[in-house]
Amino acid sequence: MAPSDRPPFSSSFRTSTFRLAIAYCVLFTVSVSTLLGAIYLITRSVLANEVDNVILIELDALADEYDREGQSGVSAELTRLRESWGRAGAIYLLVDPGLEKRAGNLSAWPFAGVPKERWLEFDIEALRDGAMVHDPVRARVVEFPDGYRLLVGTEVSERRRFQEQFRAATLWAIGLTALLGALMGLWLSRRLMARVRAISSACQQIVAGDFARRLPVGGSRDEFAALAVAVNHVLTRLDEQTLTVRATFDSAAHDLRGPLFRLRGRLEELQGAAALDAEARGSIDRALKDIDSVQRTLAILLQIAQAESGVALAESARLDLGELVQEITELYAPAARARGLSLACDVEVAWVNGHRQLLTQLLANLIENAVNYAGSGARITVTVRADAAGARLEVADNGPGIPVEDRERALRPFVRLSRAASAGSGLGLSLVAAIARLHQARLTLEDNAPGLCVVVRFQTARPENAPEEHAMPVLPAPRVGAEA
Amino acid sequence: MRLLLIEDDPEAARFVLKGLREGGYSVEHAADGRDGLFRATEGNYDAIITDRMLPHMDGLAIVQLLRQQGCDTPVLVLSALGNVDDRVRGLRAGGDDYLTKPFAFVELLARVEALLRRKAGPQATTTLKVGNLELDLLGRRARRDGREIDLTSKEFTLLEFLVRRAGQVVTRTMLLEGVWDLQFDPQTNLIDVHISRLRHAVDRGFDRVLIHTVRGAGYVVRDDGP
Repeated sequence: MAPSDRPPFSSSFRTSTFRLAIAYCVLFTVSVSTLLGAIYLITRSVLANEVDNVILIELDALADEYDREGQSGVSAELTRLRESWGRAGAIYLLVDPGLEKRAGNLSAWPFAGVPKERWLEFDIEALRDGAMVHDPVRARVVEFPDGYRLLVGTEVSERRRFQEQFRAATLWAIGLTALLGALMGLWLSRRLMARVRAISSACQQIVAGDFARRLPVGGSRDEFAALAVAVNHVLTRLDEQTLTVRATFDSAAHDLRGPLFRLRGRLEELQGAAALDAEARGSIDRALKDIDSVQRTLAILLQIAQAESGVALAESARLDLGELVQEITELYAPAARARGLSLACDVEVAWVNGHRQLLTQLLANLIENAVNYAGSGARITVTVRADAAGARLEVADNGPGIPVEDRERALRPFVRLSRAASAGSGLGLSLVAAIARLHQARLTLEDNAPGLCVVVRFQTARPENAPEEHAMPVLPAPRVGAEA
Repeated sequence: MRLLLIEDDPEAARFVLKGLREGGYSVEHAADGRDGLFRATEGNYDAIITDRMLPHMDGLAIVQLLRQQGCDTPVLVLSALGNVDDRVRGLRAGGDDYLTKPFAFVELLARVEALLRRKAGPQATTTLKVGNLELDLLGRRARRDGREIDLTSKEFTLLEFLVRRAGQVVTRTMLLEGVWDLQFDPQTNLIDVHISRLRHAVDRGFDRVLIHTVRGAGYVVRDDGP
């Protein structure tokens, strides 16, 4: 898994908060729409019922009048109703069996023939404010036994207008609800994102070695503050543990090096004594060499432990891996040549964040390994390439290489693959692996066909003092593995 | 030359004292941090050698206090601690050199000598001379007997490091630290090959050899005279 370069929160629209806000917004909008729709429908039906009831009551009254007084009675009643300015928008029309008008305030029968529906809707022309307008009318017709028909209706333009206004208001309300919901979601997600970003950037700095740093808690005692407090607690514990680990290293080193130092001192004293034969001197020389070798192994073990503990990160800085590789290769080249090997480098500028001494140790171990195991006459090439993902370091030789099945094992401490070359302590590659892990670099042993190619992939260093542009992706666990 | 050794381990102190006295120095000994600081402040020493982990007071704290008091006596810090960054911390605290235990005694002697010479004053100069070897520090060119010596940049730096310390023993570790800025202990003897190339360039064709090997210690650039 290659680390993604893309920050996880490149846009507000991709946060879970925003998605949640959108979901709530949709739910809320649907609820509001349903509610307003129901109110609209109920209001409309109430208004319609009211109109219909009035028409039915009048129609009943007029039908009674017809039964009692006949046609002339209805005509008189209609005239009376028209002249008394009864209810607003009332429409009446009495027609004979030939559909000719006999009485009422409508100029003519508005239909062609006799409609079948009981409730009728039609438009009438009316003069309002000097303009001819079409007003909707709702009406009901009753047919008398003698073939006369009576139409009673109500002009319903007010009702229509009210309905339209109500509908418009409803739509606006729904639109505004959706818009406000979306804006609220965006604002909330931005706010949350800023906090997540602050926490993420603090985490990044801690991972990069600023162990004293803590997550920002903020004034509001919300769940983020609670989370930050909890994480800070863990960090403090880890810090204490790191201190303990350091103290342990220090006392272990002190307790081992102290006696070694005394031992060395006594041997050197002995060496200075005059009365010694050649054999005794030889023994002392060998003992001193053994002390040096023990000391070297101890130093490597301590370095591995320190690299694994991350303590050394505090001293890391931005450095050009290419330049460092060139230096070390040039340091080793004459010695390699003296042993009949060729050692060359091919580098370009590649900035990485690293601990100079430990990276030097990594390079030295890889080169020493190649020199020791590639065999006489081998060609060793150290390459540094920079690319968008980071820097790639390769130490390749054309020696016997390491069989695929042994590669994973080769990185473990105290494993020696070759019985013949037992110069090293068997710790070299484990130290390399530990240093690579410390730098979040990926170490792989690959086939150079023929020979071994050790590849270390580093992440690019951010320029120093560069503003924190994005929250950093959660770092993938550094992996050490073997690739065929 | 008066030296002060601050070391709590009596056995270690015994042979360091013995070795330094055999090397011709007059050495006083303090067995803990408090006594060490007191003597360092009161006494007039040419150099101070202090252990890092001391009873009552850390060696680095002593260096820091001395520097705060304006004392510029060179200090060599000895340490049995294992951290890769201890050397950096030691130098940052004001130490002039840092040596990890266990070390060969010649290493300590060479470093004490280098400290004492440094105290004698760094010369602001543009040319260095040993016998008929002449180094032009500005042009980074070396001449012997008037004839130009062909050197790479690194070889010149190496030669300059040795010539600046003409007459002093320079150990391989000092060369790794001073010329390559490396604090590590290579398995192969890298320095010898570089020195032999330098020797090839500088001494070949001349009767008088300038670059000498000091057995079991390191190298010295010296003109033995006719």
